[in-house]
Formats: sequence, C-alpha cells, structure tokens
Amino acid sequence: MQTVIVILGWTALAVLLARALQPAANSSAPQAMPFLGGGTPDSHAWQRYHFRPYSMALLFVAFEMEMMFMYPWAVVFVSEGIKALAEMGMFLAILSVGILYGWREGIFRWQ
Amino acid sequence: MAMTRLARWAARSPAPVFAAIGPGRQADTERLLARPGLRRAATPRDAAILLVAGDLPGDAAEALSHLHDQLPHSRVTVRWQGASPDAIAERIEMAWRDICAGELDEDDHLPDKPPNAWKGIGPHGQGGKGMMGGTPYGRSMAMTGKDIRDGLQLDRFTARFGPFLPMLPPGLVLEVTLQGDVICDLDVQRPPFAQPADADAPDLCAARMLRLLGLESAADRVMHGKSANAMWVRGAVPKELGRIDGTSARDRLTSWLAGDAVSVAPPDLPALLRGAEWSEAMLILASLPSSAIIRAAQSVEAA
Repeated sequence: MQTVIVILGWTALAVLLARALQPAANSSAPQAMPFLGGGTPDSHAWQRYHFRPYSMALLFVAFEMEMMFMYPWAVVFVSEGIKALAEMGMFLAILSVGILYGWREGIFRWQ
Repeated sequence: MAMTRLARWAARSPAPVFAAIGPGRQADTERLLARPGLRRAATPRDAAILLVAGDLPGDAAEALSHLHDQLPHSRVTVRWQGASPDAIAERIEMAWRDICAGELDEDDHLPDKPPNAWKGIGPHGQGGKGMMGGTPYGRSMAMTGKDIRDGLQLDRFTARFGPFLPMLPPGLVLEVTLQGDVICDLDVQRPPFAQPADADAPDLCAARMLRLLGLESAADRVMHGKSANAMWVRGAVPKELGRIDGTSARDRLTSWLAGDAVSVAPPDLPALLRGAEWSEAMLILASLPSSAIIRAAQSVEAA
C-alpha cells in the first residue's frame, strides 16, 4: 500500500512539475516561421540528410564483432570441430552482408 | 502605470534593435547601431524595436510585415526618414523605456493563420508524396534530390533569404536550395538596394566580417576607429576562401583592417556560392564590398 502511495505521489509531483515548467506555445503563424529576413520557405526546414560516417561505422562494427567472436571460437575450435566451423561460417555470412552493403555504398572507394 | 523596479532596471540596458535598411541608408544605420545605448539584435525574436531606415520600395512591404510580426510583444516600429542620428537614437531609447514600462505595443500586420490548409492529397486529407504526408502546419515536407557532390538522394530545402537578413546586403533576395548546409542551387531574385560609396568604407566592411565571425566587440572597436585588438583575426577566415581576381577573403579582411579600401570585379554570384557551405557562403559575401555585390546581382538580373 505504502509503495503504491509513493509511486502515485512521485508521479503526481512529476506531472505537476512538468505542467508548471512547460513553455507557453502561443506563437502566432508568422512567428512560427523560420527567420529568413522577410523571405518565405517552400517546405519545412526539417530535413533528412546523409550522416556520411555511418557506413564507415558499419564497417568498423562488422570487423570488430568478427574479431571479438573469433578469439573464444579459436579456443574451442579443436574440441568442437566441424560444428564450430559451421557456426563461424554462418556468423561470417551474416556479417559479410553488412560489408557487401557498405561496398555498394562505396566505403572502399578511398579519396 | 508605474514602472516596477525590474522594468526600470531592464530599461537601463541597451535597446535591442533590429534594422530593416532601405536604399542609401546602410552606412548610417550600421554606425547608429554601434552606439553604446543600442544593441544590434541578431534576429527579430531578440529585438523589441524594428528600425525602418529610409524609404523601402513597395515590393519589400510584405517582407517587412513578416519581420514585424516575428518580433515578440511588446514591440514598436521606429521609422527613420530624415532625422539626425542623435535624434533617432534618442527616439529609440525613449521607445525602449516605454516598452519596458508596458505602455507601447503593436498588433500583427499579417493574419495569424498557416500559409496553406493542413491537408494531404487523399480524399480525407491524408497522405502525400514519398514518405511525406500532407502539409503539417501549412507547409509541405522537404522532398529528396541528388546531392551535388556524390549523387546521394538527400532532402532539399528551398527558401528565399532576404531582403533584411543581417548577413546579406540590405535588399538582396536569394533563392537558395540547401541540402544540409551545402548550397546546391542559388538564384538572385532581387539585387540589393543602391548604396552610396560610404557603405564601402573599410571600417564598416571589416566590422561586417568580424560580426559574422562572432567578434562583436572587435567589430565595435574597429567602427570606433581603434584597432580590432583581437588575436590573429585573419586566422578565423579560411585561407583560400572566396578567391576573386587574385585576392582571397582573408586578404580583403587584412586590407580593410589596415584601413585600405578594396575593389574587386563583380563576381558571378551563383557560380561563386554554389557548392559552398552556408557559413562559408555568408563569409564570402561579407568579404566583398557592397558595391561589388550590387553590380554582380544586377548583372545576374540582366542576364
């Protein structure tokens, strides 16, 4: 019972605080427009853009995960035999899809 | 209404002014705003007083209304026609005191409604092109186009900038298409207002560039005839930026800081700025004397 009261009390407090702190969204339509020195935009300024390092990060993660898994795998490979080889083959196949995708995006074209 | 102590305290601070500069008034207005009792507001949101200097042509009236409505309440418009700078500075300071006392305000010029209805292309107002549905808040979402560097499909943002954007010469309207912050298309829609030769004064040109670099107090010092007194200002401008017939933006800033006038042939603005990042492009424009930009924009118009 006490727990429920504490949870409800904190929730009510958080809601009240959020309501007290929320900014008044009372800007008019001209004020909601971006400042362009009197000019007008054609569309919203919110745009999707290409985060270029992302394909590089993808490649890094692909190779890093490969190495991370290969060390413990090398320890048990001799005792497990063909089963471990098949598992590693599957894992590498999945990772290589990411690398192929990166290849298509042109990560290997150094400039 | 009696002023509260807080309001009196606020009224002693410099008056935040956003200036809409008309033909022939650039130099006067820039010198006016460097006075100690006034503060040049970076955006209308930051200002309480809209200073309209000179006679604006009719096609700038709508832009002025947009600007006016973007000032928060309480606000006031001060028109500067023939008065001396001292008189106008006093009028602005008086208006600022009245605003702080809550005695002055102006209503919106434009109606408070979005530019289009919030409606998609479907029969029930739903749906749009691509991944974008409808026109939220009366404006459509950006659509993709090929990036000018490597052909990736990225969103394009097209807008008209100016005529009262502080980093552009007054009156210049550019229709710019941006992908992220890269300018991929640029068109001069309206040349800047004509200005007399005093708009090309070395101290004003240097101050414009320093302001753009964020060195406000160095800019004020330069305009009051002192040295910029900032360490290695030239280094803030990238080395080979904006090279036009032999001088780069950095060289031009150096000669302005030394007090020498600069003259450059009017460049081809769209070709000069296409492919540059927004901040680079603004720095390149600020590194050109007003007269060169005016002639360049006029030649684009004529073509």
